[in-house]
Amino acid sequence: MPENQEPRIGVYVCHCGGNISGAVQCELIAKALKQLPNVTITRTDESLCSDAGQSMIEADIKELGVNRVVIGACAPMLHEQTFRGAVTRAGLNPYLYQHIGLREQDSWVHGHDKQAATDKALRLMSAGVAKARLLQPLEPIRLGAEKHALVIGGGVAGLRSALDIARQGLRVSLVERSPFLGGRMAQLESVFPTEEEARKLLHALIEKVAAHPDITIFTQAEVTGVAGYVGNFNVHVQQHTRGVTNENAEALMAACSQEVPDEFNYGLTQRKVIYKPYAGCYPSTPAVDWENYNGEPISLNGKQVVLKDEPKAFELNVGAVVVATGFDPYTPPQGEYGFGELPQVVTLPHLIRHLALTKNGQPLQWNGRAIRDVALIHCVGSRQVEGIHQPQADGQVNNYCSRVCCTATLHMTAELHKRYPQLNIFDLHQDIRTYGRGHEEYYRRTLEDGVRFLRYNGEELPKVSAAPKGDIHPVLVKVKDRLTYGEEIEIPVDLVVLAVGFMPRDIHGLEKMLKVSRGADRFLLEVHPKLRPVETAVNGIVLAGTAQGPMNIQESLSAASAAAAKVASLLGRGHVELPPFVASVDEHKCNGTGACVEVCLYEGAIALQTFEENGEQIKRAVITPANCVGCGACVSACPNQAIDVQGWTLAQYEAMVEAIGADMSALAEVAS
Amino acid sequence: MDNLRIDALIIGGGIAGMQSALDLADQGFQVALVEREPSIGGRMITLSKVFPTLDCCSCITTPKMSAVAHHPNIHLLTYCEVQSVREHGTGFDISILQKPRYVDVSKCTGCRDCEYECPITVPSPFDRNLGAYRAIRVPFSTAVPQKAVLDPEYCLWCGKCEQVCPVEAIDFTQQPETFNIEAASIVMATGFDLTPMETKKEYGAGKLHNVIDPLMMERFLAPTGPYGRVLRPGDGKEPTSIAYVQCAGSRDETLNITYCSRVCCMYAIKQAMLISGALPMAEITIYYMDIRTFGKGYEQFYQNAKAMGVEFVRGKVASIKEDSDQNPIVKVEMTDIGEIVERTHDLVVLSQGIIPASSPILRGGSTQAVSLPLGSDGFIYVPAPDSAPCVTERAGIFVTGTAMGPMDIVDSIISASAAAAEASAYIRENGNRVEAHKEALYA
Amino acid sequence: MSVQNQQPKILILGTLSGGYAGADSTGQSHLDYPANTYILPVMSPVMFPPEFYLRAFERGIDGIIVMYSGTDSPYKVEAEGTAKLINRAYQMMKERGIDIRRLRLAAICTVCVKPFLKEVNQMNDLLKGIGFVKDELAGRASAMAGKETAHG
Repeated sequence: MPENQEPRIGVYVCHCGGNISGAVQCELIAKALKQLPNVTITRTDESLCSDAGQSMIEADIKELGVNRVVIGACAPMLHEQTFRGAVTRAGLNPYLYQHIGLREQDSWVHGHDKQAATDKALRLMSAGVAKARLLQPLEPIRLGAEKHALVIGGGVAGLRSALDIARQGLRVSLVERSPFLGGRMAQLESVFPTEEEARKLLHALIEKVAAHPDITIFTQAEVTGVAGYVGNFNVHVQQHTRGVTNENAEALMAACSQEVPDEFNYGLTQRKVIYKPYAGCYPSTPAVDWENYNGEPISLNGKQVVLKDEPKAFELNVGAVVVATGFDPYTPPQGEYGFGELPQVVTLPHLIRHLALTKNGQPLQWNGRAIRDVALIHCVGSRQVEGIHQPQADGQVNNYCSRVCCTATLHMTAELHKRYPQLNIFDLHQDIRTYGRGHEEYYRRTLEDGVRFLRYNGEELPKVSAAPKGDIHPVLVKVKDRLTYGEEIEIPVDLVVLAVGFMPRDIHGLEKMLKVSRGADRFLLEVHPKLRPVETAVNGIVLAGTAQGPMNIQESLSAASAAAAKVASLLGRGHVELPPFVASVDEHKCNGTGACVEVCLYEGAIALQTFEENGEQIKRAVITPANCVGCGACVSACPNQAIDVQGWTLAQYEAMVEAIGADMSALAEVAS
Repeated sequence: MDNLRIDALIIGGGIAGMQSALDLADQGFQVALVEREPSIGGRMITLSKVFPTLDCCSCITTPKMSAVAHHPNIHLLTYCEVQSVREHGTGFDISILQKPRYVDVSKCTGCRDCEYECPITVPSPFDRNLGAYRAIRVPFSTAVPQKAVLDPEYCLWCGKCEQVCPVEAIDFTQQPETFNIEAASIVMATGFDLTPMETKKEYGAGKLHNVIDPLMMERFLAPTGPYGRVLRPGDGKEPTSIAYVQCAGSRDETLNITYCSRVCCMYAIKQAMLISGALPMAEITIYYMDIRTFGKGYEQFYQNAKAMGVEFVRGKVASIKEDSDQNPIVKVEMTDIGEIVERTHDLVVLSQGIIPASSPILRGGSTQAVSLPLGSDGFIYVPAPDSAPCVTERAGIFVTGTAMGPMDIVDSIISASAAAAEASAYIRENGNRVEAHKEALYA
Repeated sequence: MSVQNQQPKILILGTLSGGYAGADSTGQSHLDYPANTYILPVMSPVMFPPEFYLRAFERGIDGIIVMYSGTDSPYKVEAEGTAKLINRAYQMMKERGIDIRRLRLAAICTVCVKPFLKEVNQMNDLLKGIGFVKDELAGRASAMAGKETAHG
């Protein structure tokens, strides 16, 4: 095997199309490093990640007998896998390769001082060479993978993911917190741009999911714990009792008198604590709202029935997890555009429900008052500016665009005009962002409909106040309109509709259980928007839909199918391979102190075992790789330096530190 | 060539087609990817950096190109065109034309000796004709495959390449060849073109010296570009005042292109930021109707550009003319002040929109061979976008990326994976999967 | 080519899910910071025994910032375990006469650009003031030598 021979190191410095070579003198580095012991060849290239660049490395391995590879290029996150692939194709063990980030951590941050950037690159690369000398071939850990995925969330993204995963021949468990499937999409009436009925589309999807033999649906269920790793997650689920049976449900619902605000209609109506959100919901059996049920007996056929929630806990063993937990519409704080203070200020989701509750032919009213003039304000809770908007609870402002609200607002405007042609509609926006296929149509149509568009500046927001007493309109909107050269326009209206944006949802610590992170916008974060757009940094956990950021239905569907494709690739073969970076014990040095076992917090990762050697009973630490995470707590605890994390050994770090601290003048001399 | 039997044929080797191919192949399906150009990579490989991360574009594209080329389940068919598609049982019979490269790809090592020897210089479409290459060449430095191709339109048949080729790969006798593929499903990833500059008379109809298209600017900004810097094509001078005219070929009823092209705001802002880096003294103005920075991290990107000093002027540009020094003069109604003004710049970039690569305005492409119904916008029609966004009117044919309408790279990649999910489910459900499935060599 | 041996050297041990990624984020934002910083990726700094830091100072590293993920770490033991190890390193540094400010533990997340820059600049400013570690080590050695003479 080439890896057992004396190290013959190939060193490659990437120009990255000027990104690195603009600050780092790559040729000088190559020349200098050529002087180091064990370095067989050094090269530079315009773009090492290209096919030509990779082929060059492969050729050196085959033809020059290079058996260790050091690459200085962009961040390892981008291309470590790429080069592992190249090294493997040339017949070398993929772990006999060391990647040094010269772009994000050097040329991009020290561009003002090329000498210093080059100097730093030289030391980092020389550290890479020092580590390369000590690299050992490693084999990935191969684990059986459950051909079973968990989808968290039963909205349109979760449903679509579940269906698409099942269609690839895998089993799916779908866990939904509420008693009914459908999520936010169920609260919509029609969808843009096709004007199809939202619940009709949704139920076509739900029917397929419900009918699929490989999908199990758990409603009123929550994930309470996650252990394990890709291919073998052990998930604890708690499921509440439905509280009623098919036989007694309707009668109980009729007999129940306790009512609470109906969240399906955003509190515009009341519903019972035994309820169905809407006719035709799935499952069709009503459910008990345990959070609100006051525990009072319900009298049914002369009997007093007390409903009891007896949650059951169970475990699921799954190979991958799809997070499709959705979003919440932004709730304006009291006073933002008069919200919570003036009863005539509502949000767009409110109006959608209100319109749904208003029968065709009925006049449009709010609080019993006829509406003749309505103003819709865009970007409420989106595109917020520090210093202008009130920060959220965590001190941040929502500086992102919520993407959906512009078209959703104009879709509503078109609907309002269609149903109430006499209505005067004012649209207050910063920019109209009808970007999608068929979206611009709504903008043109509403312009033709006579909707009055006014454009405000994001730093001079419109003002909403109660109209002076005696005014026939209850609310006055003032806006400096950029379309009329900043003139302040006063618009008396009967109703103000706030086009609220998307808020990242509080998912009750689920992200901590799954160990996935949030981005600066507080939505769940993908690894890289282009390289791995639906995968999280945790192997086997993928994102679907608006948990990741604002998306419309079409976009959520695509993201959900994409997530399914990733799960299918991962689990389809029935096994997964894990990186070999786990602890390993040098049995010659270990004398069974047990210090490692004491510090290890991972169940079953390390244990002392008794061996018989030369007639003596001796104890030694033994690692179970599948349970070891490679944190290295045992490494620093071992008094005999008998443990190392494979691929990240203490000796390798010592060698790298030595190289960084070394006097480089002699090396650099040669290169000048 | 022997006839191939495969699970999925991907038409188009741009970012969307490559991603669909990889996702299907990673699941063990046998895939063929057909590309009409001599290299895969599509439009994306010609770009400089990508928004909003400002990653070097080739750093994102080349590994995908390489992964496609090395995947044991992908048959790569470059310089090929789809001639016809016929339904056959539950699958398709596809006739493919292999255009002659005049180079034996089994022998060519991509050493480029032929290219260095070739006496003929030809404008390079890869560089938007700003730069040049030889009549025989490897299409560009990161091309996949790294194989030479000869352009018969310009070749003098002098034979120098043949003499210098160390592996005797030059073959002047090559003829177009047709072969058939049997595929269980098809993914259309045929991509886009820019709205032609010639169609907009008010903006000079492509005749003004220093009015360029955004893909030209990409080549000016790309490290692999023909000049390695930003200059005026008219006279090579370094511009100090650069303007972007947004919606130049989108949201324009006079062109019958009424839709938003979705990427122009972000690419203009990105280019403005990159120009600020390359030419710190340059003043950059963006004339716009609405700034549509709607994607993840995009609004912050826009705010950063404003903070960096890029000037955003709201107003529709009425016309562009040029003065005697070939400086473009932009006539615009500035809606914030209500005045029509004329402003002179050194260089104007028209933020042209996106039309389907198979647009009837341009030469016909694969869409016609596949005969799929198109929407009123000219892109492939999707009957149920809110329930099956990648499914076309013809069973077993799926669509992804800009073939179904303007979209940016992130959305194209997600749509490509979604199309792969639809196609793979279709293949399984129809039960006519090809038997042999190899595992990828690496993950 | 010449090298800058006159600059104090800062070693940064950055976790893949914290400091190392934070440094990459800083790079993606193209924000400048001093170039005498050498970032090595680590799974978790809980693997380094206190002696490791001592040896690094002896090898000419003038300042060390351990950029760990703290309580956000995917490793349960990291937050508490690393702090314990660093405290032991501080004891040993005191014994050797090394200014303990040369070793810092900081929690840095993947998008912690500002905290990353703050840590780096603070350490750089500190080192400008207190100089090279070799001078401290040499001073200590001569003081020890002096002591021995006095006793002898």
